[in-house]
Amino acid sequence: MSEDGIADLLERVATRDRTAFRALYSATSAKLLGVCLRILGNRAEAEEALQEVFTRIWLNAARFDAGRARAMTWLIAVARNHAIDRLRARREDMAGGGEDDPFATIADPEPGVEAQLVARGEARRISDCFDTLEPARAAAVRGAYLDGLSYADLAERHAIPLNTVRTWLRRGLMRLKECLEG
Amino acid sequence: MSDDLPLSPEEGDDLLAAEYVLGTLPLPERLEAEGRLRRDPAFAARVRAWEAHFAPLNDDFAEEPAPDLMPAIEARLFGKAERAPARLSPRRWFLAGLGVTAAAALAGVYVLQPRPRPMLTARIATADGALIFDARFDTAKGTLTVARVTGPDPAAQHDYELWYIAPGKAPTPMGLISAAKGKMSAPELAAGYTLAVSLEPAGGSPDGKPTQVLGAGVLTLA
Repeated sequence: MSEDGIADLLERVATRDRTAFRALYSATSAKLLGVCLRILGNRAEAEEALQEVFTRIWLNAARFDAGRARAMTWLIAVARNHAIDRLRARREDMAGGGEDDPFATIADPEPGVEAQLVARGEARRISDCFDTLEPARAAAVRGAYLDGLSYADLAERHAIPLNTVRTWLRRGLMRLKECLEG
Repeated sequence: MSDDLPLSPEEGDDLLAAEYVLGTLPLPERLEAEGRLRRDPAFAARVRAWEAHFAPLNDDFAEEPAPDLMPAIEARLFGKAERAPARLSPRRWFLAGLGVTAAAALAGVYVLQPRPRPMLTARIATADGALIFDARFDTAKGTLTVARVTGPDPAAQHDYELWYIAPGKAPTPMGLISAAKGKMSAPELAAGYTLAVSLEPAGGSPDGKPTQVLGAGVLTLA
């Protein structure tokens, strides 16, 4: 189904249209199950997660704004976020955590502008921008996004001390942002 | 994990948004970021921007044909008794609705529908499924019943503690649930709130924050 078709279904779901909700499931469940399965690595848990994902889609569809995001990007974000929540709730991922306070910060005065630019096609450049990172950092960013790797996983995989892996990855993200928006 | 990058607040925010989208944050920071996402439009815009940046990677997620889970999903959302509309078009539903409303208006009566008592449920499970709690919240009475359906008693010198997380808020302790089943008054709960169970030193969290979160689930209509 086309992006517009999915956006249309999602907007109808926001008006509590159950027929549209079923059509949206038919059109997108394979992709969203693929997301859950890749991150969770377990079919039974992925199917359980998919039920929760569609529950959230129904409850939150009104938050989708076609002017700010593509429908499929929004849906995949719902699925990824839930799958990663589950993954992080696993005991082994509870260790660690920052001591800095990243929340004591100042708000951006112009929300949304950048997002709209990006949604209109700027994002296409990410594969080029990955080439500006050293290969290990590019692999780490992709591994986190696609496989849900935590900082502990990344530290182990790339043989980096746990107490510096966050800074290591953040440097990569800053480089990526410079490239994407430069 | 300390952070030795010299960052402006904007840079720090932007990196946090990127980390949230990537999913690398540990759970407590992740929940905090989720809360901020709901109440801080500037931060939400940064998150959307990073989601769009990374969206081309979504092509790497292979499709995986899903079984028809809609009956289970609809049962969670709409209750088992209430069936999804069969094959009436939205227009016919609209007309049918108008007819009922008009008839009720003419007769000067309300249309009374039998309503089941609203129940919210959440399943709180560890990722490996070794420890599972089922929570039921009776919205009419404001009482929450939590039963451990699978899993051991807490280890010696430890307790299980229950928490609720209102959207955008920090976890609030609700008491120990080391017994197999417990009931408590919790009128503050509502659909969409998250319930979480943590493992704590005996007696409960020493600092008012969850020590080790074992699992979490969202309260949804049963």
